[in-house]
Amino acid sequence: MKARIQVVACKCCTQAPPLLDMNDIMSVVSDRELVVSSMLVDGICDSKNIRPVLEDARNKDVDRVLVLACQKKDFSPGLLAAYKRAGINEFLIEFVDLRDEVVLPHLGDGKRAQAKAETKAIAGLQRLLMLEPLEKARENMRTTNVVVLGGGASGRRAAEVAAAQGAHTIIIEKSGRSFKAPGVIMPNSSLTGAKGYGGNFVLTIKAGEKPEELECAAVVVATGGGWTELKGPLAKACKSSVPLYQLQEQFQGGAALKGPVVIADTPDPAGKTLAVQDFAWDETLALATDIKRKQPLEEVFVVFQEMRAFGLSELAYKEAAELGVKFVRYDRSAGPKIDPQEPTKLSVKDLAQGDVLAIPFGTLAFAAIPANKDNQAIADALRIPMSPEGGVRRGSIQRWPVSTPRPGVFVCGSAMFPKSKETAEAEGEAAGLLAGRFAMKGTIEFGGIVAEVEQEKCSACLTCVRTCPYEAPFIGAAGKAEIRVQACQGCGMCAGICPSKAIELHGFTDDQIMQETRTMLGGDF
Amino acid sequence: MTDKKPKVVGFCCEKHGMDSAVLAARAGKLYDASVRIIKVPCTGRVDGIHILQALEDGADSVFVLGCLEKNCYYDTGSIEGRKRVEYVRSTLADLGIEKERVEMFNASSTMAWKFPEIVSKMVEVAKRLGPIGKGGDAR
Amino acid sequence: MANEVLVIGGGPAGLTAAKSLADRGANVVLVERSESLGGMARELTCKGLVECRSCGACFAVDRASEILKEPSVEVLLLSEVTSVKKDEAGYEAKVKVSPRYVTDDCIGCGKCVEVCPVDGKAIFPPKGTGQPRIHWIDRSKCLHFKKKGCTKCAEACPTEAVDFEDRAVNITRKASSVVYATGIDPVDACEVSRLGCGTLKDVVSSVDAERILNEKGRLARPSDGAPPKKVAVIQCVGSRSVKNGVDYCSKFCCKYATKISQLIMDADPEVNLDFYFMDLRTLHEPQDDFKRWAKDKKTVRLIRSMPATVQPGKDGKLVVKASSETDTEVQENEYDMVLLSVGMRPSGATGELPASLGIGTDERGFAKVGDELAAKGIHLAGAVSEPMDIEEAAVRATATASRVKLSKEVSG
Repeated sequence: MKARIQVVACKCCTQAPPLLDMNDIMSVVSDRELVVSSMLVDGICDSKNIRPVLEDARNKDVDRVLVLACQKKDFSPGLLAAYKRAGINEFLIEFVDLRDEVVLPHLGDGKRAQAKAETKAIAGLQRLLMLEPLEKARENMRTTNVVVLGGGASGRRAAEVAAAQGAHTIIIEKSGRSFKAPGVIMPNSSLTGAKGYGGNFVLTIKAGEKPEELECAAVVVATGGGWTELKGPLAKACKSSVPLYQLQEQFQGGAALKGPVVIADTPDPAGKTLAVQDFAWDETLALATDIKRKQPLEEVFVVFQEMRAFGLSELAYKEAAELGVKFVRYDRSAGPKIDPQEPTKLSVKDLAQGDVLAIPFGTLAFAAIPANKDNQAIADALRIPMSPEGGVRRGSIQRWPVSTPRPGVFVCGSAMFPKSKETAEAEGEAAGLLAGRFAMKGTIEFGGIVAEVEQEKCSACLTCVRTCPYEAPFIGAAGKAEIRVQACQGCGMCAGICPSKAIELHGFTDDQIMQETRTMLGGDF
Repeated sequence: MTDKKPKVVGFCCEKHGMDSAVLAARAGKLYDASVRIIKVPCTGRVDGIHILQALEDGADSVFVLGCLEKNCYYDTGSIEGRKRVEYVRSTLADLGIEKERVEMFNASSTMAWKFPEIVSKMVEVAKRLGPIGKGGDAR
Repeated sequence: MANEVLVIGGGPAGLTAAKSLADRGANVVLVERSESLGGMARELTCKGLVECRSCGACFAVDRASEILKEPSVEVLLLSEVTSVKKDEAGYEAKVKVSPRYVTDDCIGCGKCVEVCPVDGKAIFPPKGTGQPRIHWIDRSKCLHFKKKGCTKCAEACPTEAVDFEDRAVNITRKASSVVYATGIDPVDACEVSRLGCGTLKDVVSSVDAERILNEKGRLARPSDGAPPKKVAVIQCVGSRSVKNGVDYCSKFCCKYATKISQLIMDADPEVNLDFYFMDLRTLHEPQDDFKRWAKDKKTVRLIRSMPATVQPGKDGKLVVKASSETDTEVQENEYDMVLLSVGMRPSGATGELPASLGIGTDERGFAKVGDELAAKGIHLAGAVSEPMDIEEAAVRATATASRVKLSKEVSG
């Protein structure tokens, strides 16, 4: 079947300001073989101009279109839909952005701009001829499940919001504690593996003896920070030291705390092994203030490196200081120490005073939150990136905050980086909305601009498997690489890196790219 | 220096690469018409052979423009793009061709100032070094 | 079909809320007071060179471009909600759309600005990286309206985009919910006069430094246009200070300033940069990261001190006087440029409009909304309610969007 091309040019995009002679370009282009329709239209985005274009396309049995106008994303969705209805494959519509790539940047350079625009039109035409029709496909999401890893403040909010969108939520909680949340709660459970792709994941959950398989459409990582970890020589020297949340529980339970109370972080004096992520400032300030109010004669010390009460929390800092909470700043060169011979005395060099303080304490609590040590296993299972400090990193912000690079997998709260409960909850809600809406889409759409392996050329070197962020390439039964099209995002990294040149990206094949380059270089401008 | 019109090819990703070029155009910024922009979905798609073939087909200089690393829409794409450019540069060095003819850049969608600077730089390289193999002042 | 949600404010929070709501199937009316979308982020620079530094500026710009293409979002620029009435069906808002005097034939070339005879100009491009890229005329400054006849911009325009016949219109929009996202105003660095802003040319506020970097990609001394070689960055200017009523921490300034410092060093690794701070509050990043970077750089010093004064020195230099960390001695250091990192105050939280919606404020002017108001469909998004950076504004706006009750939800 020979191609039958329609060339549509928009005067609005290409002739305002007057720089290009579009009639000239149109006549050069229409002169080419296989161009059966060519129309220079006033303004394509104006719906009244669409009808004659489509009529001509239908009458002339057009199968592919070259649009000389602006960017595809600025193009009228109405016209794209109309072309689709007229039976033209969406991947056989090629856009040449004359407006932003020629007219605007080359104002005042009319002659070169004209030659360049003509060359671009011809290159676009040649590219259009090399394109193949591509089809998108749909796969049903087998469930509307949203699996939330972690039943903390952030995870519970994520589950609530996802459920409000209609999703069925399952919280995987590693501890045995009970709490209220929509959907199903699986206590004493953890994620050990994950297969599949956004919309149809198959997770392996360890809950008791046998691992279980759990299907879901989306995952929210809300595993929180390593609150419970006590590390470092201080923790070792003082056996009675507790994590802050335990001190909170004791205090809220009505216990009178034995003072002086010291709330500190957990540094390794050499600063090497413990990447302390952050201090739980909101909780520390709230607790310190409450203790001072209830037991005003008790000394309360907060021992820290950086006083990071962000935003309005600064006011809590002010209040605590006014109530007499003592803030002791140190740096790693002379950090807090406990002599094991004197396990109830904390010595630390106070930078503000320049003196070494010896603080006898009755209660020692640790308020620094290191990364959750479960994050690595979860990130490995879900194939999502980690930050250098051991948190789960979000992907590019182009995809949205609280997202990971992997479609269908979201992350919120202290799993990324320690933060206040309130912020973690807001992130949970955001992740819950994204995950819930994702899961309720019902189908996964895929295909079109996707990669394909030419198996005879494949040497099964695994480079593509290692490079792809989406787990799209895999070694199939034939011992050669294949592309899991549902997971393919169409970036072409695998095609670019394959040492055997066995992978092509539909719509951006080597031939298509190099032909375009060659034609553009051949233009005399 | 050569009087002949220099030929510069720029492989730009369809995300922040093109966003920065389009913002520049829409912010009234002009740049040399010598540049030929070739759009790719992600600079990770760029293969060393695309760059080398461009040089063989008459390009005097080639650049690759992608999203900022770690902010790539496809996560590691622009990091891969940079690796490809580095590979080509070392190949050029082996062939006795000036490395500076090929360069990797990163930009975000807010940088209206960057694209014209990139074009300017690569056009200057193209003019100064002239066509490959013919020497800077040989015409 | 009745518009369902009215979003007031086109900055990062408003844009994110509008997009999230549109994705949920809502029809959104987005009302923005200024001529373009993007809010404060329009004049914030990307702080990465090769590697992204996660400042969030591009997020707002990307959302702005996207929202303009979103069929279910009606964007009203140069517009203000003049009143909101509540009835059984929901809210009815009267919006005044002021004339732009430039049509969307505008290509952003700027020739109009070049020929405008007014001192300080009367026709402007969109602020920073604001979208859409269409110029606008400030009628109060424009000679055409003062003494009829000046048409210099119209004559210079290559696409005939100037339209002096443009008129204000008053329109009405109905909504079942309102998202109030009017954002922030930066603290004026000149409020802290002892640090030289407003009197010493090469003392710039972070707002100006960001604007210059966003436009030009590099920093230049205002006095002679030369790139600076010795820079002082001073944190907490006007924040954490009872004196001017901003006794809270503005939350984003350490994050932005540390990243600008890194950007400055990227451009010129030989610059000497002193970073004056009280506490290193790099948001959601380990406190050590910036310290390690500084140590590695060798020409960067972190000085824990709030400088007392910035005075003119010899040869146009600036002298920063600060006490040492332990308060035992006073140090003077010379620089050729000083950046004052300013914080924020909430914007638009007080006045007739928020009051008519039932939005209250706390003693510092931050907008507050209780659960009863949320039940009535009034929501807040962004830094108008508390200090936050762009990314957090986006997160909270998404969270807000999840709480808005919609009459119909769209799946998929």
